[in-house]
Amino acid sequence: MNQSAFAHALLDAARPVPDGLVAWNGSRVDLRFAVYRNNVVASLTDALTDAYPVVQRLVGATFFRAMAHEWLVDHPPRSPVLAQYGEGFAAFIAGFAPAASVPYLSDVARLEWAYVQSFHAADATPLAPAALAPALAAPELLPALRVALHPSVRTLASDYAIVSLWGAHQAERIDALPDPNRAEAALLLRPALLVHVVAIDAGTHALVCALQRGAPLGEAAQAGADADTGFDLMQALAVLIRYQAFREIRP
Amino acid sequence: MRVQTSPRSIDHTAAADELPRRAGVGLKPEHFTGILARAPDLGFFEVHAENYLVAGGPFHHYLGRIRERHALSVHGVGLSIGAEGPLDRAHLDALAALLARYRPQQFSEHLAWSTHAGTFLNDLLPLPYTGATLRRVCTHIDEVQDRLGRRMLLENPATYLEFSESTYGEPEFITEVVRRTGCGLLLDVNNVFVSCTNHGHDPYACLAALPLDAVGEIHLAGHACEHDAAGDPLLIDSHDRAVADAVWTLYAQALELTGAQPTLIEWDGNVPPWTTLLAEARRAEAVLRAVAPTAWHEEHVA
Amino acid sequence: MNRTSTTAALALALGAALATATLPAAAGEEAANEKCFGVAMKGKNDCKAGAGTSCAATSTRDYQGNAWKYVPAGTCEQMPSPTSPTGFGQLAAFEEKQG
Repeated sequence: MNQSAFAHALLDAARPVPDGLVAWNGSRVDLRFAVYRNNVVASLTDALTDAYPVVQRLVGATFFRAMAHEWLVDHPPRSPVLAQYGEGFAAFIAGFAPAASVPYLSDVARLEWAYVQSFHAADATPLAPAALAPALAAPELLPALRVALHPSVRTLASDYAIVSLWGAHQAERIDALPDPNRAEAALLLRPALLVHVVAIDAGTHALVCALQRGAPLGEAAQAGADADTGFDLMQALAVLIRYQAFREIRP
Repeated sequence: MRVQTSPRSIDHTAAADELPRRAGVGLKPEHFTGILARAPDLGFFEVHAENYLVAGGPFHHYLGRIRERHALSVHGVGLSIGAEGPLDRAHLDALAALLARYRPQQFSEHLAWSTHAGTFLNDLLPLPYTGATLRRVCTHIDEVQDRLGRRMLLENPATYLEFSESTYGEPEFITEVVRRTGCGLLLDVNNVFVSCTNHGHDPYACLAALPLDAVGEIHLAGHACEHDAAGDPLLIDSHDRAVADAVWTLYAQALELTGAQPTLIEWDGNVPPWTTLLAEARRAEAVLRAVAPTAWHEEHVA
Repeated sequence: MNRTSTTAALALALGAALATATLPAAAGEEAANEKCFGVAMKGKNDCKAGAGTSCAATSTRDYQGNAWKYVPAGTCEQMPSPTSPTGFGQLAAFEEKQG
């Protein structure tokens, strides 16, 4: 037996089973090999289901598991840490023709992936709001201020109402579904144990993205204004302070 | 410091800090807060190492708090000790960091492979038992024990196939691995029952042929019953239900041979309410008490 | 914005943001746009075998052959859609799209 043949036959049911397998009673080894095939495919499908529960609710379990199978046989994990498994599934969904009738599906998947990342991100004590107050004493230094965000901060923007869609699917019973055709951006962060998923406007999204790139505060504020003519810098900063998105500031 | 891995230099008497010879359960996130609120009287908890190889967040938060009050066993499911290729050094380093952080009383892995050419297949896959695979497995276990600086336990697998090239029976193979590496045995009683049934062997004979003096922990789990193409039973190591009666009986027999051992109830799929898990653990403790009353008394009263 | 107005705007905005954001929230108050749940996250590495010996394992790659038989049929079916009175999910029929 060589493990290469065994491994390839696990993920591709069209391949013959490897040589050299035996059953004590001489029964068909392909049916016994199918136990391993099933274990691999079913467990990886389960891992994707755990990472993308709202995507599954949106399209139903049958469709989801079939779609997951299409992806996972070509994208088995590269690491034994399955918490990191599933990156790239959203991009696959975006190009997956049978899912084209649910145009927001891929962006909801991106949000769910961001949720997993934020959930498992490194811990850090957020900056206390009071620690920002001294910066006001020297306003001329504010534009050059560097703001490090909390390691759990993730953002994404969509043409669809991804935060509303995701939020509606957190309830066991769904009474009313939101209109998906409204652009929303999401801010995710986990200052302590709970992941917050917050709908933010395009300007706030641009500001956070700029800060993530390492831009100083003045440049980030400008990025917000450039992205959104109605950008309200005070509201944007208030959201970031309220949800404890700042890790530290330095001049 | 490098730890010598020749059999004689590994300390078989174990550190003073070892798993209590009682029942434990697998730690599941859905039970985190309940366990902290109730502080149940259990021997230990066991976690799958890979679930905690994440940077931060609630998993670490709760495991840290539970570890403050309970004994811990860390069970790896991704090291791929039986692989043809080399061990993943980065993964081994991550395991070492996890063990340093939580200081578990026990660390174990499987006699199986799961990674090939950088691809993780997420199943415990079988290997032939030959001179070549024996040398490879021993080399890998030496490397693990060397890097982690501690003795590991190796778990006997549940398998559905055998290999025509095998020249050792499974108990003989495991006996030789234990002899050469000084590792211990994680005796999975359900796996003994499942594999023996699937390969037409007598589970009691298999049990007796294993290196039972090296047992450091026992696993119990539920299995599903199916049939192969010839209509013979094909048992699946599903971990999604209560332990079968036949496995309880085999467990009692195993304890007669090994004395009381830390015993884990594994329940990974269709995870039941906490009280159901606890009832399985209590059942294991009843068997422990019946088989080894003296050891139990010392452990429990001390 | 020039540098001076950026500085002034930042100072004003940060000051006001601090004043509002640090107000103690009333009990039970949750921002209207926030969805914050203790979503259950499982440990994905486990030891369980997939139930059944044949279901997922023996299905082959029929998507490649355009014989895919699945249609989205979850809550997306009930989603309001401006282009279809029947909602989103039901528009899907892969075979039709493939012609």
